[in-house]
Amino acid sequence: MAGRTIRSRIGPRNSDWLTVALLGGGLLVVYYLLPLVALLVSTPPDALLAGLSDPSVRAAATTSVLAATITTVVATILGVPLAYWLARAETRWKSVVLGIVVLPLVLPPVVGGMVVLAVVGEGTPLGGAAAAAGLPLTRSLAGVVLAQTFVASPFVVVTAKAAFERVDRSLEHASRSLGKDRLTTARRVTLPLAGPGIVAGMTLTFARALGEFGATMMVAYYPRTMPVEIWASFQALGLEAAYPVAIVLVAIALLALLVLNTVARNPWQ
Amino acid sequence: MTLALTDLRATVGTFELGPIGLTVGSEVLSVLGPSGSGKTTLLQSIAGIVTPEAGTVALDGRELTDRPLEERGVGLVFQDGALFPHMTAHENVAYAAADDDRVADLAELLELDGVLDRRPPDLSGGEAKRVALARTLAADPDALLLDEPLASLDAPIRRRLRSELRDIFADLDVPVIYVTHDRRAAMALGDRVAIVRDGVIEQVDDPETVIDRPASRFVARFTGTDNRLDGTVSGQTDLGAVVRVGDLELRTDVQASSGTAVTACVHPSRIELGREADGDENVFAGRVRRRLYEGDAHRVAVKLAGVDATVTVSVRPQSGTVPENGRETAVWIPPDAIHLLD
Repeated sequence: MAGRTIRSRIGPRNSDWLTVALLGGGLLVVYYLLPLVALLVSTPPDALLAGLSDPSVRAAATTSVLAATITTVVATILGVPLAYWLARAETRWKSVVLGIVVLPLVLPPVVGGMVVLAVVGEGTPLGGAAAAAGLPLTRSLAGVVLAQTFVASPFVVVTAKAAFERVDRSLEHASRSLGKDRLTTARRVTLPLAGPGIVAGMTLTFARALGEFGATMMVAYYPRTMPVEIWASFQALGLEAAYPVAIVLVAIALLALLVLNTVARNPWQ
Repeated sequence: MTLALTDLRATVGTFELGPIGLTVGSEVLSVLGPSGSGKTTLLQSIAGIVTPEAGTVALDGRELTDRPLEERGVGLVFQDGALFPHMTAHENVAYAAADDDRVADLAELLELDGVLDRRPPDLSGGEAKRVALARTLAADPDALLLDEPLASLDAPIRRRLRSELRDIFADLDVPVIYVTHDRRAAMALGDRVAIVRDGVIEQVDDPETVIDRPASRFVARFTGTDNRLDGTVSGQTDLGAVVRVGDLELRTDVQASSGTAVTACVHPSRIELGREADGDENVFAGRVRRRLYEGDAHRVAVKLAGVDATVTVSVRPQSGTVPENGRETAVWIPPDAIHLLD
């Protein structure tokens, strides 16, 4: 009944509602930012430097960036064609496939890790065969990538699908009626126009992969990624010990966001 | 080059096109019809964007029906231009051009020199249409299809582009299909005009024939033959049939057997007002009901005496006085202006 109280106090004029709505949005923005600032302020610089020079933190940072990069590349290579199909196909199977694609988004990450283990775990035929061939799919970089791909790749698929849907089909028809085949049309018309949207999806996938904890912890506790390292520090030494590692992770994430947003700037809009 | 459509049928959503049979040589065929009559679907079926359910499309005997768009050699100028927004005008034209000389030639032909560096959002409507046409011509198509290329342009630009298109088409040695709902453009540009209605062609003829001898009431209505008088053939003269419309007898120069019900069609520009009854045939008494000045001519609605019918007459200002509202006037319907529909 809070809404009614406000209405009776400030009256039904739209401008007042707009003010209230904007204040609410502003509150949310502050809520996003304040913890980050607090994190930075509350951590002494020498603790941060110590964290940065810690070999295990460095190893975790390397693993995280490497795995998230591989995950983003894999998700993009496999996901963009799927996104194009989802954007253009005219079949009822489309909604079924889209439902499957967003499934990992609604699944709790830990459960995601469990179901990935059910396929690639050491006891499974696939996991066993891979481990025997010297490429273990758990407790390995491959395991980290598998877990991150499961959780994070839907972002690039869903975002790229929306980007493709915004590309007018008549532009593709025009290109092909000018004698260019599907591949040339995709390379010179569709992809450049959908590009910024695809890069935005890659950004989301990279950020999600970088922060992935639940599924990664289940599939590959080692080699430790940053979130797992933070968790381990927190478990072993408490919150204070985990802060410097967290700052490093935040810094990497912000840097990645910055780089990808620069690439994604759309010059013709 | 000859483009041949045989029993072509296509369905888009709930709309059904066809069956269409049409042969277009190295000429301009205007396709005229109201919105939703299937003009765009027809072009898309020829270009390969819409897959026909039945029938064939062939270019110089080369069957295209199952070929993908890019292998058809059919150029399509889209209604909205469909210019690539991430490329400049020059890049758009160069997209399918064999070399830079071709781009330069087309830029000169279509007067694009000042706009080649601009991107589509910075082009005016007329410039965008020129670039779109140049881009299509750059691919040297074996057939050229244009989908309402002059729609949404301001009248002066539209008129200018229309006459330029006439010259460009004249130099092309390929079949050109020009789709429009603008009957002036259709008549001005087409060597022949096809009138489409609900997905089928009602008439294909040269522009004069379409105007003078429409094949159906729909064609008559859509091409501006606003006068359609229902009557019965009541007799014959040595010239042709006489049609009784109410108390009036219309002499015609066409043949029709007595007793049949017919519709006498007369284009407004063929009727004359104010002519004294000096023995001319088909001079009737009438009274002016309405006048509308349309810029190049007055449209005058005249109620004919002795019959429940009003004829619309197009009177050019220089052709003498235009009678005032309510005035009585003589109406002359020349026998050779009358076309009979069953």
